[in-house]
Order: sequence, then structure tokens, then C-alpha cells
Amino acid sequence: MTRTNKLFAIIIMGVAIFSSCQKLDIKPPNVLSDDQLFSNEAGIETYLAQVYRKLPIEDFTYRPGGRGSDGGFNLHHEWEHFYHAGGACGEMVGPYGGMDIGGGFAYWPYADIRDVNYFMETLPKYAKNFAGNTVNELIGEAHFLRAYYYFSLAKRYGGVPIIKNVQNYPQQSIEDLQVHRDKEEDLWNFIGDDLDSAWNAMPETNETGRANKYAAAALKSRAMLYAGSIAKFGSVNYVDGDARAQGYVGITADKAAGFFQKAIDAAKLLDGKYSLYRKNANKLTNYTDLFLDVQSPENILTRDYYGGEPERMHSWDATMSPNSGMNYMTGDGLSRCYPTLELVERYNVLDVTNPDGTPRRYDNLSDLWQGSDLEPRLLATIYFPGETLRGKLFDIRRGIYPNFSGTAAAEVAKTTRSFVPSGDHTTTYPGDPSMTIIGNAGMYPSSGSDDNTRTGFYVRKYINYKETDIKKIGLFSSTTHWIELRYAEVLLNRAEADIETGQLDDALVCLNDIRDRAGAPALTLADMTEDVVRNERCKELAFENHYWWDIKRWRIADVLLNNARFHALMPYYIHDEQKYIFLKEPESFQRNYNFDKKFYYEPLPGGELNKNPNLYPNNPNY
Amino acid sequence: MKLSISTIFLGASMLIAGSSCIKKDNYPGPNASLQGNIFQDGTGSKNTVQTCSGNFSIRLEQLDWSSTPTPQDIPVKYDGTYENSELFAGHYRVSIKGGAFWPVAPQEMDIRMGSTLDFQLTPYLTLSNFTADMVDSTTMSLHFDMQAPIDAGVPTVLEMQPFVNTTSIVGPGASIFDFSDANKKSINKEWADMTAGDKSPTIVIPNLIKGRTFFVRVGVRFNNDDKSYNLSEIIQVDVPK
Repeated sequence: MTRTNKLFAIIIMGVAIFSSCQKLDIKPPNVLSDDQLFSNEAGIETYLAQVYRKLPIEDFTYRPGGRGSDGGFNLHHEWEHFYHAGGACGEMVGPYGGMDIGGGFAYWPYADIRDVNYFMETLPKYAKNFAGNTVNELIGEAHFLRAYYYFSLAKRYGGVPIIKNVQNYPQQSIEDLQVHRDKEEDLWNFIGDDLDSAWNAMPETNETGRANKYAAAALKSRAMLYAGSIAKFGSVNYVDGDARAQGYVGITADKAAGFFQKAIDAAKLLDGKYSLYRKNANKLTNYTDLFLDVQSPENILTRDYYGGEPERMHSWDATMSPNSGMNYMTGDGLSRCYPTLELVERYNVLDVTNPDGTPRRYDNLSDLWQGSDLEPRLLATIYFPGETLRGKLFDIRRGIYPNFSGTAAAEVAKTTRSFVPSGDHTTTYPGDPSMTIIGNAGMYPSSGSDDNTRTGFYVRKYINYKETDIKKIGLFSSTTHWIELRYAEVLLNRAEADIETGQLDDALVCLNDIRDRAGAPALTLADMTEDVVRNERCKELAFENHYWWDIKRWRIADVLLNNARFHALMPYYIHDEQKYIFLKEPESFQRNYNFDKKFYYEPLPGGELNKNPNLYPNNPNY
Repeated sequence: MKLSISTIFLGASMLIAGSSCIKKDNYPGPNASLQGNIFQDGTGSKNTVQTCSGNFSIRLEQLDWSSTPTPQDIPVKYDGTYENSELFAGHYRVSIKGGAFWPVAPQEMDIRMGSTLDFQLTPYLTLSNFTADMVDSTTMSLHFDMQAPIDAGVPTVLEMQPFVNTTSIVGPGASIFDFSDANKKSINKEWADMTAGDKSPTIVIPNLIKGRTFFVRVGVRFNNDDKSYNLSEIIQVDVPK
């Protein structure tokens, strides 16, 4: 090696050695720092967009039993919207084999709550970057978001640890971080307090998809109603256990009235600020459009769906109407969840039988509802046989009887029936090539698929009938917004709490406002009972992911779902008479739905119990 | 590049050195077992404690490692026995989970290979003098009496129903809906408020299928934590052709 080469080698080595003195602790360029995020409103919007995206809103894409290990909220590429909570508890019948959602999916969003706590602690340090009252308003919004997370925990588990500050590891020891559960009552009060802080600080208006102060009041009316019901009904119908004895689940009955009053007071804050949607004089059209019109004065908080880049679309339209395996009403997808006769008859009892017990004869399917006095809200919520969507008829038949005699009851009780069924939409009735057996939207035999209705009905709420091009109704093509908080619910929260506390005059005003918009006859003071207000709620909020939580907080799920089977309205054609009949009978799969009393609370996630033994005792009977 | 023998040695020795970092699992496998019987207290009978519902089980909690262990449940079989032959030896708390029986205190025991533990349980109600008769070609009439071994504190009596199946494995969760649940009768009374007639009821099952053999029992359900049943013995009924 020459001298020059040696020198060169030494220089290279020196450079290499000293370059290691450079700090490797450089900020990654693809992660936004606090200095960037909290420097202006655009940064704040980025931060909050993440929080809103993860917010546990039970919208179209929500899966109440979870999807494998992915959980059930805000799932990526989720299209199977027929895994709907209503389809596991009798509002509908769906793909679940029974009441399969009682155990939940181990929801435990403390990482997301930490993001909110971090926001609350960090934003004031950057207060100089914001003008006027902005910081105060944003902190108020954070209180709303934190309350929303804790509400989603309280209704599932009862009392869970209330974490109000950012926790840090390893600065804090494991022992410090292994927190205990808080009592259920304390958690509901904490939610109420957070929403009060939100109400006091938040602005009157906010951009679409973000909460304003009225959203905080609306959520408070919902949460306090839940707490009141748990105190009142959970103290009568409960499962004993250590968690109950220590107050982690259950609230004493004497606290019920206080919570109910808070629900009423919160609901009254929206008086004069929001109103029911009444843009169209035709009550049926009006009720249908209420779920499609972005400009509704009833919407308090919505979650938007949109095309473009980035896009966020759902598949409600393609998974609630019959595709029939031939792109019949939709361009793609399939349906598997259908409203029950029990739900339909909450609105109107269908009179399909003559006084002598024989089934009424109808010339057309549509004679069942056309010109009838069925409630417009019912017809706007559920598609009946004989209706039309995108120019296609809901021609639903379970089969064709060559002839029919006797009563409906005797026919349904028979073990062998004489109607001709079919598993496809092309087979025609023997000797009559003009007539397919089950019609284009009809039902398959009970041994077959559930890709078409099992009950005779299809969901209409949130269906975008304005899109008439069937090819465009595919998976991930729907942009209808989800209404998370709407004024009708606030009125129902208020009326229910009114009735629970004997304030019947106020309840009557609220319920009649809703019924007038629905096209239902007005009620009187004598009607103001628990049953009436509950029934009204089930009707008005059908398919909006309320029913499951409602029958749980009323503590009636174990009675309603006592190895229950649900019913259908089955349309048949009688070939020799050329008439239709409708028979009320068990839905075609005859599934059993059974609610175990322990499901009034979900089990704490096993993984969390393993990490933190202080979370014991688990909820009763797990 | 030519692979030299020393490179191969180096690689092999690194592999050996690295593998020594892995601890050998020298804990014993699940070689212990626990089995036993559930008897109705005083009678030595297992006929009426047998259950087909999944919510009556023996709960094991291994206390060697944690005071809050994840429980494991052994279902009680329809013949009134239970068994788990793949347990880890150790110190366990054993308790009864579910069922319409007066509670018994949990026991702590060491479980080894071949451990046994029987339970003597007192039902809330015994269902005795159970008869099942065909009153016409397709209608069966069931009759039974309810007695309470302990009167005070019986949970609210919710409902009663027959359980009908085509095999002798019959009970909640193993019955034909149209003959069983369809003939459920609501009671919803406290035991103290039930009349002599309430306690000696008749249940009628219509529309049975001619020429079939059925296994029938009755159950009375309570509004306790898991809404469980006391059950009668099983009767075989041949419906004539």
C-alpha cells in the first residue's frame, strides 16, 4: 500500500467514525409534530378528523358482533351491512344464527380516549396560535368526544376505569397504570359532567360531521335516559355477582328520577333550535326524504359518506334490497336482513283474514297497502310486497297453491302444505309459462338461501330511491349520510323520561309532534304510558341501531327473546282463483332467539383482564 | 464466491450458540383429570339433575399462579356426570355455575391424575309423580306435582313447559320447538303464592305425529340469574299409528 493510499484510508475511517456522532434522533418527516398540528386550525382539523373517524358511531358499517379480530366499529372495507343489530333481536331477522351479539366484540377504546385527553392537555400550550374563544370551544368539543367514547363503554360494560389524563409509560409504573374500575353510577355522572362542559364551551354551529353544543345536549338526553332506565329497571331485573355488590354494575333505584330529569332538561335545550323534517306535504314522501336530505332541520350530528379522493362509501342500498342473483333491483351485492311482522304490527295490525278465518283474497299484491289506512311512516320505513323501486316490482311470492280452502290458521298448522315452492326466479308454474313461482323478489325455500326476504318485507329507511340507475347501486357506491343524532330521538328521550317521572303533559306534546309528522293519529293524555312511548320509539327509530340497546336498558330483552321465533307475512298466489293471499306464519328459517340475563352487561375483554387484574371482578355470570 | 469450510463452521457455531438461548419447556403437560357426578341431595339419583342446557357447568379456577385466574368450565353431561381429562395439576377452586339448585360453597382442592369430586345438590323444586298419557290419537296430556325441599327463598317461578324429543337426550336446548316451546305456560308467581292447583298442573301437547316414539319430560323455570330449569324424569311415549 502506498503512502497516499494509507492517508486516504485514514481519512475515510475518520469520516466514518465522526459521522456516528450525528444524532439519529431526527423527527420522521411523514409524522406531524405537535408544533405543526397545534399551530393553526388546519392542523387541529387533521387531529380531530382522526378522532371523529374512530368515534364509535353505530352507523351503516357497524357490526355488533364484531368482524373476526377487527372489532365492530369503522371497519375497513366493510360491506355486509345485513350484520345489523336489529337482525339478532327481532326487529329484523338476519344472517345471525340467533341472538349472537350478546358478548360484544371486546371493545376497549382507551387508546382513542388517550388521543382526546392528549388534545385537552396539549392544546392550551399552543393557545397563542388561536384567536378569540377558539381554544375554549375546541376543549368543549373534546369533552363531547370523550363523553361519546365513555357512553359507548358504559352501555356495554357498566362501570369501567375513568381515565381523564394522559397516562405515560415508563414514566408511570405498571402498578400505577393498573387502574381499578369505577362504579357504574360514577361513570354515567362523569359522562353527564363532560357533556355539561361541552355544552358550556362549544359553539352554536360547527362544520358538517362535527358536533356543536346541541349535539352535546342531545347526547346527554340519550345518556341520562339510559342511566335512569338502568337505575329503575336494572334494580329489579339483574344478575347477582361481585361486580354488582361493589357497584361496578347497577345503580340504585332511588337515583332513577334524578337521571330522568337530567335527560328532560338536556332535551329542552334544543327547543326552538331544531325541528322535525316537514318539507313535503305528502307524509310518506316526507318521511322517506328525511333520511336522504342533507339540509334537514332535524339533523343534529351526521356522519358523511362521499365519493372522490379519498372516498368513503357504504353499501346500504346494495345490501338491503333484492338482487335475486340477477342484479334485479341492485347492480351488485345481496340482502340478508328483513323486518319482522312483529315490527310491522307495532305500527298497524294487518287485517289479512276474513271474519270466518279464511284468508282474504287480493287481485294484486299492492291491494294490501294501496289506499289503505296504514301509517305513512310504516310504508316509508319498510317495503311491502307489491311496491316498486327503480321501476322494479317487489313481486314477492313464497309459492303458488293450485287451489286453497279452509282457514289461515288451519293451513299454517299443517305439517305438509300443498303450495309449490321454488329455489330460483325462472321456474314457472307447471302448465302456466307466464308465471314464475316465487316472482323476481320472492323467497327461497326454508332449506335454501336467505339472499331474498324471509319475512315478506324489505328495509326502506335510508334506501336512496332517487338513484334510479340500477347499475350504479353496487357495493361501496352509497353516499347517503348517517344521522347519528336527530331531533325526533331527542323528543322521544324527553317523552320517555317525562312518562317515567309523571310529567305527562310534556310527553303528550312531544309524542304528538312525532306522530303528526309520521301521519299517525294524535294521542291523548290517557295514552301516556310506558308501553306507548316505548312502542313509538321502536317505530320512529327502527333500523337506526337503537332497538337492541333499548330492550337491554328496559331489561326486557330476556322476556322478549325467551327462545323466541319471529313471524312473516307470506304472500301466496292461488292459481285456480287467480288471487293472492297473505298468511301470518313463522319466518322461513324459524330461528330461535334467546337472551341470557348476563348479556345485560358484556364481559370485560379477556385480554384486558389478563393485563390488569385490578379490573376484576368481571361482570356477573361470566 | 467460494464457500470456505471456516465460513460454514462459523455459521453452524452461531446457530448452535443462538439455539442455546431458548429455554426448554420442562413444565409437565396437562396430565391431571377431574371427574364426578351431580346427585340430587338425599336420593342418590342423577335422573332429574341431568340437563341439556349449556349453562349448567362445573367451574374451575386454578389458584397457583393468580388470585384472579381465567375460569374454565366443564359442562355437566346429560347423564349427570362431568369430566375433564386434560387438566394441569395444581390447586383449584371448584364451584357450580348455573342450574336451579340451592347454592353450595366453592371447594378448594388439589387436582391430580384421577381426582374425583361429587356434588349433592338440592333443587329449588322437585317435579314428581310425572305421567304422560295419550288422550286421543295425537294429543298427549302431562301431569306432575311440584314440591319444594326448602320453602323459603325459592326464586320466582317463571314458567313451565314440556320438552319433547325423538331421543332420550331431551331437555332445554334439545327439544322440538313445535311440541315443546309452543306449549310453554307462563306462571310468574312466587312459590308462596302458588295454589295447590298451580303446584299440580296439567300440560297438553296437541298435534303429535302418529306412529312416532317421543321422549318427554317437563321443566319448571325460575327467574334466577341464568333462568334455569328443574326437570322431571323422562318418559318414553309411543304415539300409535
